[in-house]
Amino acid sequence: MAAVALCSSRSLVFLFSVFILFSGGETFIRQLSVELNPGSTSTPPGGDLLHVRAVGDNDTLHFLFCSQGAPTLLLVHTNSSSSTVKVDWSQFVAPNTSGSLKVEPESSVQYSSAVVFSKLLEYDDVNDTADPTSDLLPPYELQDFTWSRLNLSGPTALLCGSAPNATNGSLCLKLSVFDSEGRSQSWPRLLHTANSSQLGVWLDGLLPRATRSRFLLELQAVGRTDPPSRVEVHQSIDDEYTPSIFQVSQWVSSENGSSDVLGFVQWKPVAYRRSDPVLEDATPCRHSDPRPQSGKAAPSGLIRAFYSDPDVFGLNVSFGLGGEPFYNSTRFLSWTMLVGVGSPPVDSFSPLVVTIMAVGLGTPVVLLLLGGVWVCVKKRAAASTTAYEPIN
Amino acid sequence: MPGGSYDQSPTSSSSSLLPSVFPSASPKQTNMPDFEERQSLLGDENEGSFTGRQTARGPDRPMPAICDPSHLLHRVVVLLFMCFLGFGSYFCYDNPAALQTQVIQDLNLNTAKFMQLYAWYSWPNVILCFFGGFLLDRVFGIRLGTIIFSLFVCVGQVIFATGALVNRFWLMELGRFVFGIGGESLAVAQNTYAVNWFKGKELNLVFGLQLSMARLGSTVNMNIMGWVYSRVEDLVGSGHTALGISLMIAAVTCLFSLVCALVLAFLDKRAERILHKEEGKTGEVIKLTDVKDFPFPLWLIFIICVGYYVAIFPFIGLGQVFFIEKFNFSPAEARAVNSIVYIISAPASPVLGFMVDKTGRNVVWVITAVVATLAAHMMLAFTFWNPWIAMSLLGVSYSLLACALWPMVAFVVPEHQLGTAYGFMQSIQNLGLALIAMAAGAILDTRGYLVLEVFFCACICIALIAVVMLYFVDYLRGGDLNQSAAARAKLQKEATSDAEIKRRPSRLTEGELARLAPMSAFGLRNRYLSRLGAQLPDHCSSHLSSLAHRSVLK
Repeated sequence: MAAVALCSSRSLVFLFSVFILFSGGETFIRQLSVELNPGSTSTPPGGDLLHVRAVGDNDTLHFLFCSQGAPTLLLVHTNSSSSTVKVDWSQFVAPNTSGSLKVEPESSVQYSSAVVFSKLLEYDDVNDTADPTSDLLPPYELQDFTWSRLNLSGPTALLCGSAPNATNGSLCLKLSVFDSEGRSQSWPRLLHTANSSQLGVWLDGLLPRATRSRFLLELQAVGRTDPPSRVEVHQSIDDEYTPSIFQVSQWVSSENGSSDVLGFVQWKPVAYRRSDPVLEDATPCRHSDPRPQSGKAAPSGLIRAFYSDPDVFGLNVSFGLGGEPFYNSTRFLSWTMLVGVGSPPVDSFSPLVVTIMAVGLGTPVVLLLLGGVWVCVKKRAAASTTAYEPIN
Repeated sequence: MPGGSYDQSPTSSSSSLLPSVFPSASPKQTNMPDFEERQSLLGDENEGSFTGRQTARGPDRPMPAICDPSHLLHRVVVLLFMCFLGFGSYFCYDNPAALQTQVIQDLNLNTAKFMQLYAWYSWPNVILCFFGGFLLDRVFGIRLGTIIFSLFVCVGQVIFATGALVNRFWLMELGRFVFGIGGESLAVAQNTYAVNWFKGKELNLVFGLQLSMARLGSTVNMNIMGWVYSRVEDLVGSGHTALGISLMIAAVTCLFSLVCALVLAFLDKRAERILHKEEGKTGEVIKLTDVKDFPFPLWLIFIICVGYYVAIFPFIGLGQVFFIEKFNFSPAEARAVNSIVYIISAPASPVLGFMVDKTGRNVVWVITAVVATLAAHMMLAFTFWNPWIAMSLLGVSYSLLACALWPMVAFVVPEHQLGTAYGFMQSIQNLGLALIAMAAGAILDTRGYLVLEVFFCACICIALIAVVMLYFVDYLRGGDLNQSAAARAKLQKEATSDAEIKRRPSRLTEGELARLAPMSAFGLRNRYLSRLGAQLPDHCSSHLSSLAHRSVLK
């Protein structure tokens, strides 16, 4: 019992410290400015370029989102609050030219990495094992998709594309950049900071080519020297924001041999089969190990324009496990990830949980102490006044 | 009002406090319910006279031991049927938990709707806890009542399975409702049969066996239904049809129990004819106006009961998927760890019951059990430690609580209010279970397992607050809830000698009463401890049907 008491008191201390952390932590705020096709006089052919500049106290984050070729999000971190993006548009729209997009001054660039959505893979899961190595159907190359113009609303941008020969159905990406810490309203409700942006991907109404189709998404991480190269899977006891999901996966980049994380792609291993999901619409995801993609240039205009000889790592995210309903059941799949610099954000208990536990554990303890004192006082009073009377 | 017809005048209630082993001069002495209820039909003293009467009246044909109702061998046969009488109901009660993923997937439910299946089971019992005993005693009689309740269980399960077959969720809810009407009352009937056949003999053992049987039913269900479903799925393909067929297969256990009820009715009737004995009675006296006289500690016990059990049963109902999703268990493993609570409580209940009985200090034991349960729930909520640890702890503390909490009721209310107190306790417990089952599903659907576990922890914390208050209230009132067994024995001794002195005059005048073993109030209350499997002297053990409900038997 003593051990239990110790345990509960320790957790109380822990809970209180979390509580202090909650109330005491001040949020870091960045100034956001959004610019579509910076420096261009006309709408460029082949896709828009979105530039979101997030200025902090003494640094700037440049979020560049582009649909020239495969959709790409490029994140550049500079240590100057006045760094800018320069685009040479005549070169930028021309294929096979590099160096048309620069962040100036170039010496201020601390870190840059990009995520490219390169392929959508579909396979016929005949045996319902969700093993994507068998029966792969011809992949959708996302660079061949017909991409819409970017649909902006504040610091979020929506990009939808459809497959070359498909009559209906689309793959959409939604980029949200944030000026401060928070969570979006819909699941998986990832915690974001001012140092990260959220990318939601969903597949809506695309006709499956088999009745038992499942999908995979091929992602590439691109960087000049240290692209995200390893995936860490962390267990988390906290599934409050993403019910029934107790893991978070982080695709991180770090300098050789160092444990400091420079940039990350973070996601929870869950996708949803409806646009307005309930818990039963959640479907688990898995990812393959990231593998270096030597000599395979990512098919993205933005990568070509910014990097001359980048390092590329690729991995696949597969949606659904054996026994889970197939894509055909709802013809919808949505998945969300976070892309940012620095260390990935870590979930902590919500004030609700902390309050309930503090009150729940605190009240009996307080009651026990008060009652003990009361009984002692009463006993002493009884002993001093009626010393010779039996207590009962 | 069921208890209204009982004579509650002071004189008769004082006579009802008289001890239990009461050889009645004539079996037709039915005007005194308390006498007849405690009457040991096969009591040691009576056996000879019964046999004598039998040979005197009936044709003198020797019966083989197995057919002779007064013979042990025959009673063993009866016991077999008695044990399997409840098997179906216990097997099917946790069918939804055993097939949680399948039910949710095949019928496109969310967890809140799924938990409705448990809520609908509890709803009828909010009322029936008060009337089950009355119905058995006054309306149907034990034999017909048992058959009727078995039918309810059987029909309920069939409706439930049909609902799955035709993919109508409301029909499944209706099935669970009908099943609930039968389920709890069947436990009361099973208990009454046991008392009727085994009182004064092997009653503790019989209760123990019934308890083990109940747990066997739950455990077998947890571990076999997944396999049954997958077999059916292989045959007819996945979907609600497979679920319906699996549940129909589960209904066979209910049918089996119904057959047991019919056989028991026949055997009981036959024993009555041969031995000229009475039909068994539950002896439940429910008087709802007693509620206003309940002392403060009893209300605290109610709070403990509700706060504690709502964090156990709904959790087990949702446990399987929790273990799969949080701890990456395979479905079979998850079902196994989910059933460990029942498995542990089978051997732990008698041992812990004995321990609590020998040491007394019930409040401290309850505090221990509640704190251990809180620790187990916190382990499940805040750590990734192997859930076998937490669930085993939960199993032990759950059994300990049952052994320490339920007898406490008998210490705080007078004998004649016990039936009402237990009925009321079960009623609000069922109400709590129904409401919390629904709330738990809704919380899980929107906020996830952590918040759900925190919610269960909060429920346990409420129970903890109540038990801490109970400790101090009892301390200040100088109550005997937390006395050691030695102190209680001393009290009992004093009370006994008091009773001896008081009874002396009547002993002189009434020769019949002189044969009674004098019993104090404690001695009478002690009878209720026997429900928990503790080995008590036979003259102390009796029955209390209202204790036979699921929460205690599990």
